[in-house]
Amino acid sequence: MSDLKALSEAVVNGDTKTAVTETQRALDAGGSAQDILNEGLIATMNEVGERYSKGLIFVPQMLRSGKAMQECTNLLKPFFQEGEVTSKGKVLIGTVRGDLHDIGKNLVSMMLEGAGFAITDLGVNVSPEKFVEKTREVEPDIVGMSALLSTTMPAMPQTIEALEKAGLRNRVKVMIGGAPVTERYAQKIMADSYASDAGSAVSKAKELLGIS
Amino acid sequence: MKPVDTPTLQPRLKVLSREQALAIHFAALEILEKTGFKMEHPGALEMLAGAGARVSNGDWVRLPADTVEGALKSAPRQITLYDQRGNEAMPLTDGNYFYGTGSDATFTLDLETGQRRRAVLKDAANFTRLVDALENMSFAMSMANPEDVPIEDIYVHVFAEMVKNTGKPIVFIADSGKDIARIYEIACLVTGGAESLRQKPFILNYSEAISPLLFPENVMEKLIFCAEKGIPICLPSGSNAGGGAPVTLAGAMALGIAENLVGLVVHQLVNRGAPFLFGPNVSILDMKSAVVSYGCPEWSLSQAALADMRDEIYGLPVWAFAGASDAKVMDAQAGAEAMFSIISAMLSRANLIHDVGFLEYGSTSSLEMVTMANELVAMSRYFTEGIPVNKETLALEAIERVASGGPGAIFLSDDHTFDHFMEAQFLPKILDRSRYDSWKEAGELNLYQRCNIETKRLLAEHQVAPKTDEVLRGIEQILKTG
Repeated sequence: MSDLKALSEAVVNGDTKTAVTETQRALDAGGSAQDILNEGLIATMNEVGERYSKGLIFVPQMLRSGKAMQECTNLLKPFFQEGEVTSKGKVLIGTVRGDLHDIGKNLVSMMLEGAGFAITDLGVNVSPEKFVEKTREVEPDIVGMSALLSTTMPAMPQTIEALEKAGLRNRVKVMIGGAPVTERYAQKIMADSYASDAGSAVSKAKELLGIS
Repeated sequence: MKPVDTPTLQPRLKVLSREQALAIHFAALEILEKTGFKMEHPGALEMLAGAGARVSNGDWVRLPADTVEGALKSAPRQITLYDQRGNEAMPLTDGNYFYGTGSDATFTLDLETGQRRRAVLKDAANFTRLVDALENMSFAMSMANPEDVPIEDIYVHVFAEMVKNTGKPIVFIADSGKDIARIYEIACLVTGGAESLRQKPFILNYSEAISPLLFPENVMEKLIFCAEKGIPICLPSGSNAGGGAPVTLAGAMALGIAENLVGLVVHQLVNRGAPFLFGPNVSILDMKSAVVSYGCPEWSLSQAALADMRDEIYGLPVWAFAGASDAKVMDAQAGAEAMFSIISAMLSRANLIHDVGFLEYGSTSSLEMVTMANELVAMSRYFTEGIPVNKETLALEAIERVASGGPGAIFLSDDHTFDHFMEAQFLPKILDRSRYDSWKEAGELNLYQRCNIETKRLLAEHQVAPKTDEVLRGIEQILKTG
């Protein structure tokens, strides 16, 4: 395998331009897209995630690294067959019906994306019906729901119920979060997982899918 | 002839020059005129269009500066909140400051076990009673988002509980135009009718738009309701630096002020002269944890800056926070952060100062924190009142008496000391200055433990002036009609 150190370093520094150049260089040198993805990008992002967890870097730095990784992944995509797995898993995410807050949800999306998940973000005020429709279409591994207001939390169990009625509940893991949401609430409404912040959303998502 | 008294300088904090204040104000106007905002309430949209705003893509609004200036002129410079018996309690005007608790915490530190647990309705009652008992807490907010009431009626139940547990002014939360109408009904019961409530309001609504520049329908319903009924309201939007707003404080303030001005314009279009409390709430999003910080210096600085902008430009009373912390327990961090915001809010003369008693970036409430803050406010007030300099306080006669009084003459036993010590010194009640041995004998209690004991005593002994049976029956009726 050609030297991916420069690529890795560029991703760590959030230097998208250099990262893309290095990805192209690695491809031109005959490196396999799979190796570049696994060893150059995903491994680096794991390291970035770890540095964040240890408090060594800040959120904007991590997001910048995630963006660099994303650009490089796009460059690699043509080298993969259709249907070949290039992500850790598919996540469908949205802020629930009645709630228009999206900063937390967007942060979770970006962090998951940076960690190698494929994200479909439905935005805010997403009805249970919309979650169902998109779950059918996207076939995600995880459905993520966010709420900032306690008054909109009931839309979470309503969405879970809608997934059940549509016969989709068993095909997905449901993960919830947001300021008023608690572990106990997640258990009460039979969600599969609760994440208290964007960082733990990544580890919880990995846990749910049994990956590292 | 009586000599002229030397006026006492009462220290006041300034953090912005006039040029800085104007630059932020003009930036806010530019945001509204050039960038615009999303208004999801059809009625408000129509009013704005009628007042000269340009509307595009259905609900995107651009607002000319002169419409904003008009609203700034018609809003009252002074808002007075009354207690529930109709006595003037909180004249919110440029030099006055009032502290009170905060809204809606998900968790609370249990008074008995010290453990963090989910908040229940009884907590809202206890926090309100504690506010009623504490001399430096001027108004109550619920401090609890209780899990034991139906979620769709949560704010009505919480408000009813607060009314039963204090006679002081109440700052309340509502979800939309529906529940605010029922809360209003309860408030009318207390004052004996809508007109007396309008004349002497004891309630103020706290609502939030969404940064950046989004005005949801349910939020505007509350704003319009309050404007119509003459209920004071404030409408910050979460323009926290790095979260809903740019990471730099100047930009975050400009955005937050722009958003406040949108609320103000709609409010004044509904009812010119209705009371509107100004204040964008600019804290920061922490760059490690992504929480909105309640202990950071940035929030204190931005509200000091807002107070300067009030003095230089707006003239409207301002909303602020203090006495809160990001610490998870009431430890040294909690004390340091609480004091930092309490004294800086006072020195900059912020008017209505909420969130006293919050831990964990506003997610957990602590009764002990409120009790501690009550004393920190007293300590800050002592400092802020300055040093009166006059014949009595210069005390030259006392100096002469003691100096020439021979052996045994000490200031401690002089009449001057007896006459003045109560107001000349700050006399702490909870902060401990006892000698080591007595502290040890008294059980080596730290501040948290002493606040715990004092809080329990207050909750056990304090009597809240009860509401009449008629009011209580009326409240039950309103709660039942759901």
